[in-house]
Amino acid sequence: MRTLFPLSILLLLTYIGIVRAADDAYPSTYRVAVEADTVIEGVTLFTGTGTVMENAWLKVGGGRIEALGKGPAPVMDGHVIRIDGSGKWLSPGLIDVHSHLGDYPSPGYSPHSDGNEATSPVTAEVWAEHSVWPQDPQFPLALAGGVTTLQVLPGSANLFGGRSVVLKNVSSRTVQGMKFPGAPYGLKMACGENPKRVYGKKGGPATRMGNFAGYRAAWIDAREYQQKWLRYRDELATWQAQSAPASGANAVSQEAPAGEENASKAKKEPVEPKRDLQMETLVGVLEGHIKVHNHCYRADEMAQIIDLSKEFGYTVTAFHHAVEAYKIADLLAENNICSAMWADWTRFKLESFDGIKENIALVANAGACAIVHSDSALGIQRLNQEAAKALAAGRRMGLAVSEAEAIVWITLNAAKALGVDDETGSLEVGKMADMVLWNGDPFSVYSRAEKVFIDGTIVFDLERDLKPVTDFELGHRVREI
Amino acid sequence: MKTGLVLLVFVTNVLMASGAMAQTLLLKNARLVTMSEMGIVDAGSMLVKDGVIEEVSTRIEVSADIAVIDLKNQFVTPGLIDSASQLGLIDVNNFASKTDNQVKGLALGAGFSPVMAINRYSSMISMVRNEGITRAHIKPVPGSSIFAGQGAMIHLVDKGQFVTDKFQAVHVYLRESDKTLAGGSRAAALAEVIDSLQEANRYRQNPADFRKAKGREFRQSEADLISLASVLDRGVPLVVHVDRAADIENMLSALGSFELKIYLAGAREAWKVKALLADLRIPVIINVLDNLPSRFDRLGARLDNAALLVEAGVTVAFMTDDLTRNTRNLTQGAGVAVAYGLSWQEAMKAITVSPASLWGLENTGRLVPGFAADLVVWDGDPLEVTSSPVRMMIGGSWIELRGRQELLRDRYSDLHDGKVPFGYR
Repeated sequence: MRTLFPLSILLLLTYIGIVRAADDAYPSTYRVAVEADTVIEGVTLFTGTGTVMENAWLKVGGGRIEALGKGPAPVMDGHVIRIDGSGKWLSPGLIDVHSHLGDYPSPGYSPHSDGNEATSPVTAEVWAEHSVWPQDPQFPLALAGGVTTLQVLPGSANLFGGRSVVLKNVSSRTVQGMKFPGAPYGLKMACGENPKRVYGKKGGPATRMGNFAGYRAAWIDAREYQQKWLRYRDELATWQAQSAPASGANAVSQEAPAGEENASKAKKEPVEPKRDLQMETLVGVLEGHIKVHNHCYRADEMAQIIDLSKEFGYTVTAFHHAVEAYKIADLLAENNICSAMWADWTRFKLESFDGIKENIALVANAGACAIVHSDSALGIQRLNQEAAKALAAGRRMGLAVSEAEAIVWITLNAAKALGVDDETGSLEVGKMADMVLWNGDPFSVYSRAEKVFIDGTIVFDLERDLKPVTDFELGHRVREI
Repeated sequence: MKTGLVLLVFVTNVLMASGAMAQTLLLKNARLVTMSEMGIVDAGSMLVKDGVIEEVSTRIEVSADIAVIDLKNQFVTPGLIDSASQLGLIDVNNFASKTDNQVKGLALGAGFSPVMAINRYSSMISMVRNEGITRAHIKPVPGSSIFAGQGAMIHLVDKGQFVTDKFQAVHVYLRESDKTLAGGSRAAALAEVIDSLQEANRYRQNPADFRKAKGREFRQSEADLISLASVLDRGVPLVVHVDRAADIENMLSALGSFELKIYLAGAREAWKVKALLADLRIPVIINVLDNLPSRFDRLGARLDNAALLVEAGVTVAFMTDDLTRNTRNLTQGAGVAVAYGLSWQEAMKAITVSPASLWGLENTGRLVPGFAADLVVWDGDPLEVTSSPVRMMIGGSWIELRGRQELLRDRYSDLHDGKVPFGYR
């Protein structure tokens, strides 16, 4: 397939530079508020990489994890806040790869409904961040459940729903103040029932085959757009090379002397093609710096999406709502695609009919990347319990899964799918100190997040009743009559 | 002699057909959550005979011919009861041909009974039952009227009586999202409730009036009037689905003179008026997990609603209240209520003893002599999300814990060996 697009690596790199400038148009303004150094000791520590350390300690400095180990914490210089973690559990901050917080906030009235640009089956041009309401009271509820990072996606009405945004779950007046610094963008795509249902009587697609025709047409357009820009870059480079020596100091002047022997070659400066936001996002996928998050329930549809991605030369990062992933776990492992799943949702729509509780454990057991996601303002508050249910179901059928492995489903694997695993998702030296101190085993229904750290700062504390209160909540949520 | 033999064979067949009903069985070495003054009996024994619990003790001696099962100190609880569900009315939600939970466009409100639509053979039933749930109150949801209809009790048996009480309650919905069904104002919705009850009262006093007038002077159908007459007689409760604290107060004040049996359902802001509810002895049915301020009448939703209500002396029962997605998560809700301040014992009560009492289920909801042998054996603490039933007895019969989902799991548990297509596995 790649032979269809014989592109010079040099031109490719130049091209990426231009498109990525647009990616920085709404930059993150999030700044780490560095508190005093902190050490947590005597704690049971899930690293997020598949292991658990009993009676461990972890030191935070400058918002990052500086050191960790087993046994008593070493003597430390300077002012260090010491937190007794005995009888408690420490895990990486939880990450939800599928959320609509801010885009479908509470209260959920139509003036607040900003998650689905259901006006056309292809709306790759919309960006979820432009809908996020930072005062959504659901953000603090998710924080109480230990969620420190989340991906907000456009809804699934469209074949191409638009760009996602990765947020830190911090209190901010602006969405820019929540944006995860350096996180890549995602593209939301959707299989199956939803696009069919929404557009079936509005010009289509009305069928699953119509869905696929729509995906393919859009990718063909994206390839054309990509070629157009590559041609432009090529022509511009040629023009610059030709005009620079001929006109001396004024290299960009179009008033090149005429009448010389190369006059016929002295073309005008090529005109920059008009930007197309929809195509920019799709080309970002083709160039590999925007990740594809594909809502897809059924095994047979996922298999066809894999072929679609090969036809057009891109990769799928994760299938979301992959209710039937267990049926093709081998295929998903082979293609290195993550599955983001619920622990037990089923039968709420026909394409979810074959959901089983062992799905997540079976996918993990096949060596594929398994993630527990929520797609719910309720579920995001209890990702640890959902992982616990999935773990228990796997064990019950005889799969060897540990708690330390199951925590990866809601931490490091999620970070990988979002492209932020260099920074968060596990408790390793050098990473952001995004962590949850649980008052009990996080796989127990009775346990709660006691302290939540984001970049080393305690942003939620059960003991001190410290939590962000959104503007919306002020004045009417706490009073008894 | 020959006749006697035939009769014996016949009787044996009947008994076998009805499962283990006629068996006597000793369950020993169990952690019995009796839900009685005995509390949790460790290493307890329970004798079950003809579907009824005969004896509960730490030591029961039986003759050698009695079957004995050693439960290795696993938890045993009474079968759990969901106080509001739509189980059996929906196979798959999100598309109408598979749902029977509401009526639209008909002149039928309080009189609508969904019972004749219940599909006891749906694979949903075993899926939910496998979570330890043995009974559920089935509620309709509003279609064209704020009066959604009648609630019923189902018993998740494989054989025998499935709907055990066809008419347990009338459900009326007074939430923010329901008022458009009554002209758009909460005041109009409440006025409609009062008017409907007054009309039912007139009907109750002289049903012949209705027939003489051929219903012309009555706004409601006769089915609705009969239904509401039962509410007026306190034969069944009026279950009021309402969330906002002010709406709860106003409704109780407006309906006070009727002296009805009122249960609240949903009731996300009930904690704000807990003293009033305790005074009036109004029980509250809640879905613990739904704490979102998703509408203005739910701004006070919180996970410790149950704990605050129980502390104030209000009777609380739990419901899943979902179409299909979370119907199985009754125990998770109870567990979360514990994490948010409710005692474990009170959380268990809200899914056993309290619903048995609210829904008039006799000899149900406890593991004590004389009570029905609806019981669940768990592989851990029943309220833990990691726990699951390992055995369940309903009406004295062990039931099959393998359902459609388990068959799917087993079919795809090994993706290797492609010689046999999956359709044959």
